[in-house]
Amino acid sequence: MTIAAEARPADAVASAPAPFFAARDVHAYYGESYIVQGVDFEVREKEIVALLGRNGAGKTSTLRTIARAAQPSLKSGEIWLGGMPLHRMSTHEAARAGVQLVPEDRRIIPGLTVEQNLIVAQVAERPGWPLAQIYEHFPRLAERRRQDAITMSGGEQQMLAVARALARDLKLLLLDEPYEGLAPTIVREIESILQEVKRIGITTIIVEQNAIAALQLADRAVILDMGTVAYQGPAQEVLDNADLRHQYLAI
Amino acid sequence: MSNITEAGLATGYARAASRQPALVTGTDLLVIGAFVLVVLTMPWWLVLIAGYEALATKIVIWAIFALGFDILLGFTGYLSFGHAAFFGSAAYITGLSLKHLTSDIVPAMAISFAGLFVIALVIGVLTLRRSGIYFSILTLAFAEMAHALILSSTLQAWTGGDNGLTGLPTPTLLGSPMRGLTVFYFASAFLVAGFIAALVIRRSPFGLMLRAIKENPMRLEYTGVNVFAYKMSAFVISAMYAGIAGSLTVIYEPYVATEYIYWSTSGEVVIMSVIGGVGTLIGPILGAGFMLYFENVIQGFIGEQWKLVLGLIFVFMVIFLPGGFVDLARQIWRSLGHRIRARRYNVPDMAPEADEDRLRRRLDREEAEAR
Repeated sequence: MTIAAEARPADAVASAPAPFFAARDVHAYYGESYIVQGVDFEVREKEIVALLGRNGAGKTSTLRTIARAAQPSLKSGEIWLGGMPLHRMSTHEAARAGVQLVPEDRRIIPGLTVEQNLIVAQVAERPGWPLAQIYEHFPRLAERRRQDAITMSGGEQQMLAVARALARDLKLLLLDEPYEGLAPTIVREIESILQEVKRIGITTIIVEQNAIAALQLADRAVILDMGTVAYQGPAQEVLDNADLRHQYLAI
Repeated sequence: MSNITEAGLATGYARAASRQPALVTGTDLLVIGAFVLVVLTMPWWLVLIAGYEALATKIVIWAIFALGFDILLGFTGYLSFGHAAFFGSAAYITGLSLKHLTSDIVPAMAISFAGLFVIALVIGVLTLRRSGIYFSILTLAFAEMAHALILSSTLQAWTGGDNGLTGLPTPTLLGSPMRGLTVFYFASAFLVAGFIAALVIRRSPFGLMLRAIKENPMRLEYTGVNVFAYKMSAFVISAMYAGIAGSLTVIYEPYVATEYIYWSTSGEVVIMSVIGGVGTLIGPILGAGFMLYFENVIQGFIGEQWKLVLGLIFVFMVIFLPGGFVDLARQIWRSLGHRIRARRYNVPDMAPEADEDRLRRRLDREEAEAR
């Protein structure tokens, strides 16, 4: 755990346990625009954190910075996951370290069947759940395993995207707007997938326009404003505090 | 049926899924058998359709080149305009070895294989950082540099400059001269091996990765796959096919033309793959056969306008049959009332960073909204 000890800033109390995930003063740019302006928060193991904020607050950019996407580019700050320095890793190294980003468009690989999409995730080192376990949790995918994944419904694709993440050695799931652009019936389907994620106990950061839905699922909320953390606390508190919601979320 | 629970079904599916798909199935063996038969009898049947024996050797050699090219273009989605660099370098290395070392082809091919591996690694590292049109232009630039290097006054004494590399001895294999049908069967062995290798690659998890790279490399990167390593492997494998074809060309005709390393050679292999059917195994081979048959036989019938006719055929194919000859065969098969599985005949996406673009637009929009 010596590496984990480094994860704490020098002024941290020595007896405090190292957090499972920590973003420390993260700054990131999208080309010329300065989007993530010193984001600082922690996530405990098995916790679901809702990352909220108005449009342009830097939610998706923060999520993508954590996943070490090519864009936005990390300029300074540290990102630690279970003692591993994500800020020093490339995209695929971060994924191997256990970060799995499910972006807004769900990242299904077109032209590949459901099963091939899952296999691709397992060929890489450090696979997670075997196919049998995935199919047990998501029987719908088992039924459709020979189908071109892109021909499935939005909800099924979301299910596959989550399953693909589980097919890896998953430590931190990043969900970017899982409800975006989906019909209400499918939103309910996704809700049940996310309940499943919660039940299994996967550490998750969820970015969602539909703040209420995200807060109902999450344990804690982190609210971003102008690229920095404006509030963090229990999700229930945000649900109860109308002023807070109005100020930062306009709801 | 009520006792079959959902979980039970899922376990059943899972069990079926856990069986590793065989890399070579019974149908494949039939296909390979037919392929070997058609290739080995080519000197005979080519004469029946107004060709000649030596043309068969040329077709086999270019078929190897086109097949390897398609591993990069068709399987992985990277359009190289610089494969002449590999074909030509291998031809020159083979020629130089035959001339200065020994007339035996074993050391010549071995040296050219090793040399080409290094060349492919270097060019790959420098070009694969980019994709789409940028990759194409970079490969073209490297091929042109190689061409310029061969013709340069520094290397002229070795390469023969504009005249090409001449005065090569008749190549030998363990003492026996390589001429006529011997070269044909020798080259055919490489084509058959290359065909089987390509078939196994396509079927393997490695081939699945290449397909995923073609569809969307960024997504694969997020999954935790070192995309660069896979691209590099496909690039080197493809270059090695080109190299073997380059070596065989010199063995077939002991002379190295400067044209082998010129961009027109790169262009020709692109046309062969596209006209035959990108992303298929048999397509590029058909394309190579068609092109050489057209250049060497049909040309005799239609005279000097043959290039115009060939150009028209190419335009017609790209517009109406983007899947090439293989697609033509499928269309005919379908018109006979058979069902075919849908296929995507996409030439590589010139904007593979589409994901990033879309995100950027969204961020711009949100930023504007936030103000």
